[in-house]
Amino acid sequence: MTPRKTITPALVLAVSFAISLFFLAYPIYVIRPFRHQGAGELAVALAVLRYRPVVMGLCVALGMVGLILYWRSRPGRWRRIAACAGAGVCLFAALSRVNIYEMMFHPMGRPEFQSAGETKLDGGEMVTAVEIGPVARAYPVRITSYHHIVNDVVNGVPIVATY
Amino acid sequence: MWGREVNGIVLRFHLAGINNQNFLMRDEETGTYWQQISGRAVSGPLTGSALRLIHSDELTLALWKAEQPHGAVLKDVAAYTSQYAPEDWDVKMKKAPTVLSYAQPGLAPRDLMLGIHTGGAARAYRFDDVLNQKLIEDRVGSEPVLLVLGGDGESARAFSRRLPRGDAVADFYRAPDSTAGGALMMDALTGSRWNFRGCAVEGPRTGECLQKVEAIKDYWFDWRNYNPGTTVFRR
Repeated sequence: MTPRKTITPALVLAVSFAISLFFLAYPIYVIRPFRHQGAGELAVALAVLRYRPVVMGLCVALGMVGLILYWRSRPGRWRRIAACAGAGVCLFAALSRVNIYEMMFHPMGRPEFQSAGETKLDGGEMVTAVEIGPVARAYPVRITSYHHIVNDVVNGVPIVATY
Repeated sequence: MWGREVNGIVLRFHLAGINNQNFLMRDEETGTYWQQISGRAVSGPLTGSALRLIHSDELTLALWKAEQPHGAVLKDVAAYTSQYAPEDWDVKMKKAPTVLSYAQPGLAPRDLMLGIHTGGAARAYRFDDVLNQKLIEDRVGSEPVLLVLGGDGESARAFSRRLPRGDAVADFYRAPDSTAGGALMMDALTGSRWNFRGCAVEGPRTGECLQKVEAIKDYWFDWRNYNPGTTVFRR
């Protein structure tokens, strides 16, 4: 195989590796607690998140093509290095599907309620209260400060209770 | 609290990140990112849209139960009960570091504020001032408002001081003691007594209710970050 036929697949694999690493790492670096976020870098990080599924898919596809072509052309140690790079692309793509925030603070799912008379919570607990028509609901802060988001429907109105 | 319907689509939100210590939500349906405190879409197909504000109050459970004996309370998700906030959660949070700091005499970044948007302006009140004064009369932009502390000494609400029917602006003062019907303030214009729901329970305006004003409990740094033009109430 000519050098060109070896270098091109290697380059495709290397670029796929670099891009997938950037698309995984940059949002994690920018969007994290206790770090000041500038408007520009946040906008870039959110754009990365928005287009990440497509970009990661392309990186995996191109990376695998590059790996296969390279594998056929080069024996020995360099094959193993290329295989590691290919595995890295797949790993970054898989990790990019993980919502770290929902791993830390599990989503509530479908909210369940009990009557005001049934609750055993202390009367001093703070609640966020909403009243829509004849329906009144209270969301204890001790719960919402963990899940942060409650997707609910109150008297037919879809609402999101946040804290 | 926000309505979840935008352009005829009912959105379902997920916790998706954090922006200077205020969290970001992402909706399943369009993949748009939304800022929790402002309800505004900040990235994605619906950028520029805003969720509809749904009025809510932050109260003690006891006071809410007294007002809403037939209401419903959100239940724990049993698997995560052990991870819910401990009783001293708010005390610990006050000590947590912040990434933003806005110099304002007498205010620390994590001082709790009641923030109000109305009358074309934004204004913040130290929650401790509301606790101490129990009733604050003020004007936010063009709107005459009052902030009042509930009978539990911990919950607060805000109302317009324009009386229903006729738009007359009244001065209010705290009733000496909570009386029958839970009245805790009087207006100087009609002598009616009003309860914590902002409804008159004695006097000529009995049965009428003041217009509620959304009062958001928030840390100073966060309120200031999303309301750069805010003013601060001074005792």
